[in-house]
Amino acid sequence: MARRYDASTTTFSPEGRLHQVEYAIEAINNAGTCVGILASDGIVMACEKRVTSGLLAPAKTSEKTYKLCQHAACTVAGLTADANILIDQARLRAGRYDYQYQEPIPIEQLVEHVCNYKQAYTQYGGLRPFGVAFLFAGYDSHHGFQLYQSDPSGNYSGWKATVIGANNQAGKSLLKTDYGAKPEEEGEEMKTDEGEGGKKSEEEEIRLPDMQGALRLAVKVLNKTNDGTAVSADKMELFTLSLDDDKNCVHRILKSEEAQKVIDEVEAESASSGDA
Amino acid sequence: MSILEYNGAAIIAMAGKGCVGIASDTRLGIQAQTVATDFRKVFKMNDRLFVGLAGLATDVQTMDQLLRFRQNLYELREERQMSPRVMSNLLSNLLYEKRFGPYFIEPVVAGLDENGKPFLSGMDLIGAPVYTDDFVVSGTATGNLYGMCETLYKPDMEAEQLFETLAQALLASVDRDALSGWGGVVHIITKDGVISRELKGRQD
Repeated sequence: MARRYDASTTTFSPEGRLHQVEYAIEAINNAGTCVGILASDGIVMACEKRVTSGLLAPAKTSEKTYKLCQHAACTVAGLTADANILIDQARLRAGRYDYQYQEPIPIEQLVEHVCNYKQAYTQYGGLRPFGVAFLFAGYDSHHGFQLYQSDPSGNYSGWKATVIGANNQAGKSLLKTDYGAKPEEEGEEMKTDEGEGGKKSEEEEIRLPDMQGALRLAVKVLNKTNDGTAVSADKMELFTLSLDDDKNCVHRILKSEEAQKVIDEVEAESASSGDA
Repeated sequence: MSILEYNGAAIIAMAGKGCVGIASDTRLGIQAQTVATDFRKVFKMNDRLFVGLAGLATDVQTMDQLLRFRQNLYELREERQMSPRVMSNLLSNLLYEKRFGPYFIEPVVAGLDENGKPFLSGMDLIGAPVYTDDFVVSGTATGNLYGMCETLYKPDMEAEQLFETLAQALLASVDRDALSGWGGVVHIITKDGVISRELKGRQD
């Protein structure tokens, strides 16, 4: 059925679907997981690094996290070669906006520009879509810290917490219960399988976690999406975006000791909650 | 009337022992009329790299913005800082691109390279560079500036002495030039950081 309508980007199927776009999205479901979490004082993005061979030379600083401009960064799930094109586009756009207006580009505008670029490959030219999904993290003076997700179709949406890449559904369901949940009296994160306090009452607003809480939650999600096995510090990349005292954005990839510390804290939490 | 003498400027960059200094006046004029006394012509690109731009004020500001745009892209893609030599070559390239409709600026580049060695270069408005190890000058008072620098310069000056030399050379030169002066600023770049000082000079 789909066979007659899936070879060309520029053809709808009778059900009103663009199969090439959907296939592109499939390509991303095999890529290393990325989770993004909005915290009260910044954004955390954690990625699973897929090391295909021990002989591979280490990437520059990262193969998952990329700085787009002083106040925005992104993580990638999907075809790295496709991602490089789009990241360069984003950097150029941010730079040109700054050059023209002498002001940093608002995050949503940056995301929309990249997405419009992606959309063109779903409608014109007979070229295939980009096989990449992004998580964009950024800060601007208009809306503060923001987290956006985008996919090959050129659609984007803003999130408080989200997951892309392999097993993202499992990650998202964990976030649904754990993100913004009321912490226990000791101040620890809520565990998924505890009924008490695990659901928020209708009237309660979702409370943003602080950076440390967000980091722990991100590691927890990565553990879940990694088929339940705990991820080691060298297989994950923890990135944070925050403001320093002079209100400048600080991009930081945690060093392995710091990442290990977060992993240990999550390990201790799950041990103490009585998980099997 | 030459377009390069419309706004007025005086810029010196000088090398010392393990340090460089760059100084400029702060006048912005429209021919004879002084319009501002706090106009910046020397721009910090990073902790070890300054670019001084003399010439038409609009091009001075535009080139500063353009250089910062290009520098940002370089740092994002290459994940390292631009060295002074690279910046100088970029500037030269940008200027030659407009060979038949140039930017009316005559820049100087001053900085410390990866090994902490002083780097100086100057160029004309279409990007022809000159590399020196003592000093470069630019602006509407270059005759005066060359004379003062040639007289006062000594190789291997320490940071404080470099500052004195730059300040005296600049102040004495701009006093005999109607289009530059009205205050000055000096930046001394060492491996430990940058010290910037404003100069008190004749306000005429």
